[in-house]
This record gives sequence, C-alpha cells and structure tokens, in this order.
Amino acid sequence: MSVVMKLIRKYWSLLIFLFVWSACKEKAAQLSPKPVLPKDSVVSESADSVTDTYTSVDKSPMDMVYFPVDYPKFKMANNKIPPPVARVIYSRPHLQGRQLFHDVLKYGEHWRMGANESTEIDFFRDVTIQGKKIRAGRYVIYCILGPASWNIAINTNIDSWGLQQDTTRDVQRFQIPVTHGNPALEYYTMAFSKTSTGADLIMAWDDVVARLPIEF
Amino acid sequence: MKKIVCIVMAALSGYFVMAQSELPPVDKSPMDMSYYPINYPVLKIQDKLAEPLAARVVYSRPKKEGRTIFGGLVEYGKIWRLGANEATEIEFYRKVNIGGKKIARGRYTLYAIVNENSWTFIINKETDTWGAFKYNPDKDVVRVDIPVEKTNDALENFTMTFEKKDKSINLVVAWENVRVALPVKL
Repeated sequence: MSVVMKLIRKYWSLLIFLFVWSACKEKAAQLSPKPVLPKDSVVSESADSVTDTYTSVDKSPMDMVYFPVDYPKFKMANNKIPPPVARVIYSRPHLQGRQLFHDVLKYGEHWRMGANESTEIDFFRDVTIQGKKIRAGRYVIYCILGPASWNIAINTNIDSWGLQQDTTRDVQRFQIPVTHGNPALEYYTMAFSKTSTGADLIMAWDDVVARLPIEF
Repeated sequence: MKKIVCIVMAALSGYFVMAQSELPPVDKSPMDMSYYPINYPVLKIQDKLAEPLAARVVYSRPKKEGRTIFGGLVEYGKIWRLGANEATEIEFYRKVNIGGKKIARGRYTLYAIVNENSWTFIINKETDTWGAFKYNPDKDVVRVDIPVEKTNDALENFTMTFEKKDKSINLVVAWENVRVALPVKL
C-alpha cells in the first residue's frame, strides 16, 4: 500500500471535514455580504437577498398575537366584544442547534426581537408602561440586550426592516429584567399574559424569558 | 451524530413548547406580509424609496401538500378567508379606488368567493377576526368580480403580493394553477 493511501486511511475523517467545510465556505461566500448589523440571527436573510418573495416561505415564519389572548377567535364567537388592546406582529427565528447568546445574539447589541421586518406593536388604546403613557397607535419595538436586563425601546419608525434602528424615533425606553434557566424554546416566541393591572408582553427564546408589564 | 442531537433537541423543545401553554407553538401555515411598494421595509432602511407606502397585506400561507385546492379544499361558491387562521388583513395607507369605489385609508379584512372562472373579492370593515366563519355582509365596503388566470406551474404555498401595472397596482393572489389580480388604483 502506498504512503498516500495510508495517509488517506488515517486521516479520512479530516478530509471529509475539510471537504464539507470548504463547501460551506463557498456557499457563504455566494451570499450577499451586507448588511448584517446587528447580527441577530444567521437565519435572517440579508436585506439584498429578499427581492424574490413571490413563492418562497420565510425561514423565520411570521406570527401575530393579540391581547386579549386569541382575540380573533373570541370575536368569531361574539361580534359584540370591545376592540382589542394590543397586537404584535413578529417573525420567529429558530435555534437550529445554535446557542442563543453565543451564535445568534450578542450582549450590548440592538435586536429587532424577531427576524426580517421590525417587530410591530399596535396599541388600540392608550397604555402605561413603568408609569409612562404610550398613546394608542402603531410602533416598532426592539431592545438592547444585556445578561441580566434588556432595554426595550418603543419607536415610531414603523414599516421598516429590522436590521437597523433609528434611535432618534424612540418614544420611550424601559429597562426590564430577564431570567435564565427556563424550559428551552426552539422558536423565538412572543405572547401576552393577563395580569391584575393589564398584561405582560412575554419574550421567550432558548431558556431566556423577559416580561414587559403593560397597564391599561 | 450532530443530526441526531439536533433532532432530539428539536423534539425536546417541541415538548417544552407544549408544556408552556401560554406560549404559542409555530403555526402550520406561517403568516407573511407583503407591501406595496414591494419590499418597502428593506427599501426604507436602505434609503431607496421611490414611492410612498400604499398598501400592505397580512395573511397566512397554507401549503398544497398534494391536495386539490380550488374546487376541493377551497369549495366553489363559498366565502374564503384567503389564507389560513386569522382573516386576511389589507391595509391602505392612502385613499385607493377598487372596482370604482373610493376606499378610505385604514385596515380592512379581505375575503373572496372562489369559483372556477372568476372570484369575487370582498373588502369588509370587520377587522381582527378569525377565518370567514362570522362574515357579515353588512360590513362590506366593496365587492369586485375578477376573472381567473390559469398558470402552468402549480404553486405549493399560497401567495399574495403586489405588482405594478401601468399607472395602477394589482394585488396578486396565487395558489395551485390559479392566479387572480385585483386592480387597486392609487
């Protein structure tokens, strides 16, 4: 047996690894290099690659949550119910084996709290958050990530893609604590949960949960 | 091995999603959003906007999955939510004209009565509702009949988008071998 064959037999796994790695690298090079700030999720397409949306389904599916919870279903059962209080439209990236605060999100960065378009929050009436009044209307919501707390921004730059935020259009900022070690979630999830004074807007992904208390 | 780990993790996380009942799982028919101008949010952050914001549709995208859609899953002559889950929402950011009727800016629900050769689009004032189960014709703003175009390739995912047509725009609705274009005059 030749020396070369011996070497191949000995290091075949390394060769396969190198082959796969180079193939992946090539694929990455084909993708548009910009704009990736902040790098909130590898699954989100860069802004230039989304021009053909005619038939493709997003990797991070969009979803919608209301307060009262499941409002559209209740409305179906009873047309006379009063208008909803709030609605969030957001996209749901998934971990796909990645570590949230290692591969996907970084502390100190702005995050659209979702994927693709900026996360949109509609208040159908005036609400109060941490003693500050937020007028009825449509906003986008994003945060600055920290290990123990997130800084949540309510912002008027609606109908925008979530890769960059115009901080000059912030209406309010709220510091909220986050907890770690919760049951892990594959998909980023937002939900409203009723409280004695209104509702919490819950942001949950991997084992991290943040709650923004809203009063109304 | 990595694949197995991924599958196990996905299965486990699925379990935890079920366990946390107040946190909704991912829908089988994912929601999506289309703007006119097309890709408005991307153009906005790139400072490439050539036209003001005109319209947006928020809808859910069921899959064909080998089924007969029109005349099967979507029965002819019946009202359809144009998607799945929540009723499809169409929002106009300025006054538009559809089927000869002036429509004020605002949010509306869009339905259709589907037939083999033509669809009746219905714009209705009752928003934030589920499906077409409690459709109320008293809240109609306009009804428009549009002929159906047949396409060669069957589309797997239900799709809605806008296209520019001369000085007007169309809301394009496509699924299976059917394409229907609702003219919206700006």
